[in-house]
Amino acid sequence: MNSKIINLLLLTFIFLLVIACDSKQSNQKNRIVIGISADVQTFNSLFAFSYEEGAIADLLYPGLLDFRWNEEKGELDSYPMIAKSWQWAEDSSLIKFTLRDDVLWSDGKKLTASDVVFSYDIFSDPDVQSRLYGIFNQLFTESDGHIDIEKTFNVISPYEFEIRFPENSVPDLIKIVVPVIPEHVFKNVSREQLANHESSFNPVSSGAFKLKKWERNQSIILEADRNSFLFKQGQVSEMIFKVVPDYTSRMLQLKKGEIDLVELVKVEDVEELKKEEQLVVVPLFGREYDYIGWNNIDTDSFSRGKVKSNKYFGNINVRKAMSMAINKKEILEEYLQGLGELAASSVSPIFKSSYNYEVRPYEYDPDEAKRLLALEGWKDEDRDGILEKSMEEFKFKMYYPVGNPLREYAVAVVKNNLNSVGIEMIPEKMELGTFIDNLYERKLDSWVAGFGVPIPLDLKPYWYSDPNIGFLNFASYNNVETDKILDRLETKISNERKNELIKEFQKIIHQDEPVTFLYWTPNIIVYNNRIKNIRITPYGVLVHCWEWTLN
Amino acid sequence: MKSNIVKILFTRFLSSLLTLFLLVSFLFIIIRLSPGDPTDKYISAKLGSELSEKIAEKFSLNEPVTDQYFSFVANVFRGDMGVSYNYRLPVFEVIWEYFSFTFVFATISFFLQMSLSIGLALCVMKRRSKRLDNLVTNASLFIYSIPAFVLGVALIYIFSVTLNLFPISGLKSLDYDYFTFFSQVLDKLHHLVLPLITLTLAGIALFYKYIKENMDEISHQTFILNLKASGMKEDVILKKHVLPNSLRPLISVAGVELGILLGGALITEVIFGLPGMGRLTVDSILARDYPLVVGCVFTAGAVMIAANFLADIIKLKIDKRLVKGILN
Repeated sequence: MNSKIINLLLLTFIFLLVIACDSKQSNQKNRIVIGISADVQTFNSLFAFSYEEGAIADLLYPGLLDFRWNEEKGELDSYPMIAKSWQWAEDSSLIKFTLRDDVLWSDGKKLTASDVVFSYDIFSDPDVQSRLYGIFNQLFTESDGHIDIEKTFNVISPYEFEIRFPENSVPDLIKIVVPVIPEHVFKNVSREQLANHESSFNPVSSGAFKLKKWERNQSIILEADRNSFLFKQGQVSEMIFKVVPDYTSRMLQLKKGEIDLVELVKVEDVEELKKEEQLVVVPLFGREYDYIGWNNIDTDSFSRGKVKSNKYFGNINVRKAMSMAINKKEILEEYLQGLGELAASSVSPIFKSSYNYEVRPYEYDPDEAKRLLALEGWKDEDRDGILEKSMEEFKFKMYYPVGNPLREYAVAVVKNNLNSVGIEMIPEKMELGTFIDNLYERKLDSWVAGFGVPIPLDLKPYWYSDPNIGFLNFASYNNVETDKILDRLETKISNERKNELIKEFQKIIHQDEPVTFLYWTPNIIVYNNRIKNIRITPYGVLVHCWEWTLN
Repeated sequence: MKSNIVKILFTRFLSSLLTLFLLVSFLFIIIRLSPGDPTDKYISAKLGSELSEKIAEKFSLNEPVTDQYFSFVANVFRGDMGVSYNYRLPVFEVIWEYFSFTFVFATISFFLQMSLSIGLALCVMKRRSKRLDNLVTNASLFIYSIPAFVLGVALIYIFSVTLNLFPISGLKSLDYDYFTFFSQVLDKLHHLVLPLITLTLAGIALFYKYIKENMDEISHQTFILNLKASGMKEDVILKKHVLPNSLRPLISVAGVELGILLGGALITEVIFGLPGMGRLTVDSILARDYPLVVGCVFTAGAVMIAANFLADIIKLKIDKRLVKGILN
C-alpha cells in the first residue's frame, strides 16, 4: 500500500511538472499588457460608463478632434483627428468641419459625415441613455435633451458638414465632441436594444486598434488596425488588458514582467517598486483631492424642507478654525510619504493659467483655531476639556467610507487634532453606497471624501448654491458672489477674463472655507521601461497609446 | 417502499421551491429597503442627474417597493429574473457565464476533497501508527485554520514568484490560441493547479477529520469485533464494513459543502482572477445591481438545496430505514 501511495504521489508530481514545463511562456512579442482590476461589460462607446470601458472605447472610436495636454498653459489643445480642419463663423454661430477621406471602419467601409451626425443623434437620444446623455445643451435640443438634427447639422458633402449653434449659446468644442460610431452597424437596431446588440461586444471600430479577442473576466486583446488612418509602422501590435482583480497579484505580475503597466498603485508599494530596475514609477497629481466636508446647513431642517444654518459649521470662523486645527501636512508626510500636495481649493494646480498662486492652504495653528472658536462663543466653561456654547458641547460624528486606508488614517489624525482644541469628533465608518446616498441627501454633518477634477475645469456642479445645479455641493455652500462668477463663466468671455474669474472664485472659497481642503492625492502609475514614447499627463494615461513603442 | 420514497422526494421538492421563493422575496424587499442607490454611479459633474433619472425610470426604480415586488413575482413565474443594471443583459445570461466555470471548478475540488480525505483516512487507519495519526490530525488542523487568502498568496509566492512553476492568475495564457489542443488542455490545468490547491486543502482537512473520527468509532463496534474474530482480513473489514458505515453521516456534510462550493469561492476567485459566482455576487451587491443580486442568491440557494436533495437521495438509497423514520 505504501509503495502504491508513493507511486501515486510521484506520478502526480511528474504530471504537475509536465504541466509546468509544457505551458509556453509568453513570448512578449510586440505587445503591451496593462493590468486592470475589473473587466468591461461593453465596447459600445454609448454605454462605456466605467473608467476602463471609457479608456478602451476611446481607443476604438476616435472623435472629430484630438486633445492633448499643454503642460505650459495647463489646458487642453485641440488637434485634427477624424476632422482634418474646422472653421468657425465670425460670430461663433456655426462651425464647418472637413473630414479626412481615408478613415475606414474595421469592416472596410468609409467613415463619412453621416456617421458623425448619426453619432450626435444617438448619443443624445433619451431612449438610448448613453454616457453622454444630457450634455448637449449648447446645441439645438428638444425638451427631452435630444439634439434637433435638422436645426443643428447641415451636411454639405460626405466629408463636409456644419454644426449650427443657438443664439446665446457658448459653444465649447471640448465639451461637445463625441466619439464617432458607425451608422451602418447601428441604424437598424432598436434604440432600446442597443446595449444588448452583438455590436456592443464585437465592435466595428475606426481607431488605431481593433478588438481581436475578448475573454470575459480574463483579457481583452486589441490589435493594431493596419487599415486605420492612425496606423504607423513600428506601432505596438497588440494592446492587452489583463483582468487581475487582486491588487497583490497585479503587483507581483508587474514585478515579474507579466504586466507592463498598472495604475492606482498604493503609496506604500512605491519604495519597493522603485528598487526594480525595469520599472518606472510616475506619480500623477492634480486630478483628485481629499477634503473634510462640513455641512453648512442643518441636516434635520433640510430633511423637513427648511434651510437653517448648521449649529457647528454654519459659521465661517468655525470652519476656518477647523482647517487650522487639522495638521494636514502630517498626514501628507506620514501616510502619503510626500507624494501629494496640500490643497487650498478645488481648483487644481494643473490648470496653470487659472490657478491662483496667492491662495495658500491654512497653516496648522491650534492656538489661532482656539482663538477663533472662542470668538464665536465656543469655550470650555465647565473645564471638562470639551468646548461648549449655549450649554451645547462641540461634539459631532465624522463619516468616512470603508476601504480607503488613507482616509482612515486621516480621520485618526483629525480626531486627535480636534481633541487638542477641545472638540470631540466621533469617527463613523460607512459602506460606500450608503455613504454616497447620505451625501446626496445632505444627511451628514461632517465627512471625509474626495472629488475627481474634470478636464476642462467645471466648478458649477460642486459649488453652485441651487442644489439642482450644484448637485455635488454636498456642503450646501451658498454665496451669491461665487454663484455670479459661476454664471459668468458660462457666458461669452475671453479666456483671460475666465482665468481672472476662476482666480477670484478661489479667493472667495478660501475666505469662506466651506470645507477643509486636505491634499491632492496621486494616481501612481508604474510601467515597464521597455515601453518607450509614453507620455503620462493629467488628461490620461492611455490616450495616444498607439504612439507608444517597445524596446 | 418505492412510492414512499417518491412521496418524500416530491414533498421535499415542493418545500424546497417554497424555501427558494421565500428567500428571494425576503432578499428582494431587504435589498430595496437598504440604503444606496444603483443610479448614483450615473451622476457626474459632466452629466448632471438627467441620465440617472432616465435609468431609474427605465428600471422602474421610482415605483413603490410593493409594486416592484409584485411585478418581480409575476416575472419570476414566467422564468424571468429581470435585466442586470450593470451588464444590461438578462440576469440568467450573466449568471450562466460565471456559473459554468464555478460548476466545473467546484466539482473538481469537491471530488478531490472527498477522494483525498478518504484515501488519507484509510492510509492512517491501516498503519495504526499513533505518531502518523497525530501528525496528520495536527497538520489537517493547521491547514484548516489557514485563511484562503493567506494560503493563496503563499502558494503564489512560492510556486509562481520564487520557483516560476505556475502562473499567478487567470484561466489561460495570453498565447492560448496558438497552442495545440493538448497544450491548451495542459495550459488550463496549469492555471488551475494553485487555485485548486487553495480551495481543496481546507476541505480535505475537514472531511479527513469527519471520516477518521467515524472510522475510529465504527471500528470499535461489536459487529466489527465479530468480523475480526471470525478471521476476516483487516483490509477487507476496513474497506467493506468500516468505510461504508463511516461515510453515511458524512453525506449530509458533503451535501452542504458541495452547495457552498457551487455558490462560489470568493477569496480564491479574487486572488487568482477567476470568473466565478463568488466574485459576481459580491460585485453585484457593491454595485446595487438588485436583479443580479437576487439572481445570484437564487442560484446559490438552488444549488444548495439541490446538493442537499442529492445527499438525501443517496442517504435514502443507502439506508432504507430512513424512509420509515421520515414517514413516521
